[in-house]
Amino acid sequence: MAQRAADWLEELKGLGIDRPLRIMNVCGGHERSISIAGLRSVIPDNVELVPGPGCPVCICPEEDVYEAIQIALNEDVTLVAFGDMLRVPVNVPKSEPRSLEQAKAAGADIRPIASPTEAVRTANADPSRLVVFFAAGFETTTAPVASMLAEGAPDNLLVLLSGRLTWPAVAMLLDSGTPGFDALVAPGHVATVMGPEEWEFVVEDHDIPAAVAGFTPDSLLAAMYSVMRQLRDGRHFLDNCYAQVVRPGGNAEARRQIDQVMDVVDANWRGIGIIPKSGYALREAYAAHDARLRFESYADNSRKRVGEMPPGCDCAQVVLGKIYPNQCRLYGLACTPRKPIGPCMVSDEGACRIWWSSGMRDNEWEGRKKDAVGG
Amino acid sequence: MCLAVPMKITSVDGYQCTCEAKGIEREVSLFMLQHEEIEPGDHVLVHVGYAIQKVSEQEAADSWELFDQVLAEV
Ligand code: SF4
Repeated sequence: MAQRAADWLEELKGLGIDRPLRIMNVCGGHERSISIAGLRSVIPDNVELVPGPGCPVCICPEEDVYEAIQIALNEDVTLVAFGDMLRVPVNVPKSEPRSLEQAKAAGADIRPIASPTEAVRTANADPSRLVVFFAAGFETTTAPVASMLAEGAPDNLLVLLSGRLTWPAVAMLLDSGTPGFDALVAPGHVATVMGPEEWEFVVEDHDIPAAVAGFTPDSLLAAMYSVMRQLRDGRHFLDNCYAQVVRPGGNAEARRQIDQVMDVVDANWRGIGIIPKSGYALREAYAAHDARLRFESYADNSRKRVGEMPPGCDCAQVVLGKIYPNQCRLYGLACTPRKPIGPCMVSDEGACRIWWSSGMRDNEWEGRKKDAVGG
Repeated sequence: MCLAVPMKITSVDGYQCTCEAKGIEREVSLFMLQHEEIEPGDHVLVHVGYAIQKVSEQEAADSWELFDQVLAEV
């Protein structure tokens, strides 16, 4: 593998493109591979690799996390959620639990799970008790939730669904007129499920080169080479550099199951706002499993206004690729994985967390002279 | 959360199967791959306990190499 990566790197350098170039990725897994393999330091200086909207935990609306906390605290239920969600902070007075983790410490029955099948098992273990599955995630994670319901979930299992589609956020960036990138590396595992075709609009509607990539450095470098070559030749298309796994149409059965169980709706992204057709909601046929219908909402409109990032946290800017993680004034100072301020430092998929854990220690907030932080 | 891991199937029971990777065993749902022929010895890409795609042995090996690195970091 290492050899192939080195070959791609040679090819990429051989393209001889010297104008500044920004390539965006929209997947925490891609960002992690790029950071760990140190790809930023080996590619030519004029090429910037920008992490974009690739973290479902980071953009999960604050009011949904708040809702999950309140359901767990106030209703007679067991709440299960993917482990990453437990430490995500909401904006509440100091006296109230700020996260699911703190609600758990305050006595709520909250359990981290790694799979929808664990939610089913938890519900089956005590049919007399309601289990609420707080399910946030992009398509790759939402598909198994749909599959769980399509197969037939126990009556006492409810879903608080906060699923999101990845491509509408990229569409929003492109429609804004200032996308901030010249080429796109599309997410391999989202495309595995949904099919690479979802990303054709990037090329067709916006004339921006795109390539689906896997997670090894050679697959990522192959995708970077592809989009750079497309830029050089002025011939743009959607390339698939992860064809071993990503098939035309993706996983048709998984897509069918999502469609059977869920509708695509306009949805709120934390710190970003409503993005059209970017979220999933349970269809009427699955209303009996819908936690949003079973419980009255705790997240009233006044809460929606506070539903942004914690004060001082620039997560939304990071998610949109407008700034790098270490350009947040709190990065590495008030905010570290040990004491995270924002969701981008909490989640394993968050760019701040990934940059920190791969050794990036310099805070480069524009408002501060670099030498003042001694880094 | 969106990173899937390749695993080798050791036994199949309806839509449930047991998978193995690097000495770790997991119960995995095949419900999203019900249109595929799946048997012990096959490799699948597993995400949050669900197989999302069948993959070749070579692809599995390549990804494991990557995960070794990732696991060493986190
Ligand atoms: S470093 Fe912390 S506070 Fe700053 S954007 Fe990242 S998560 Fe938010």
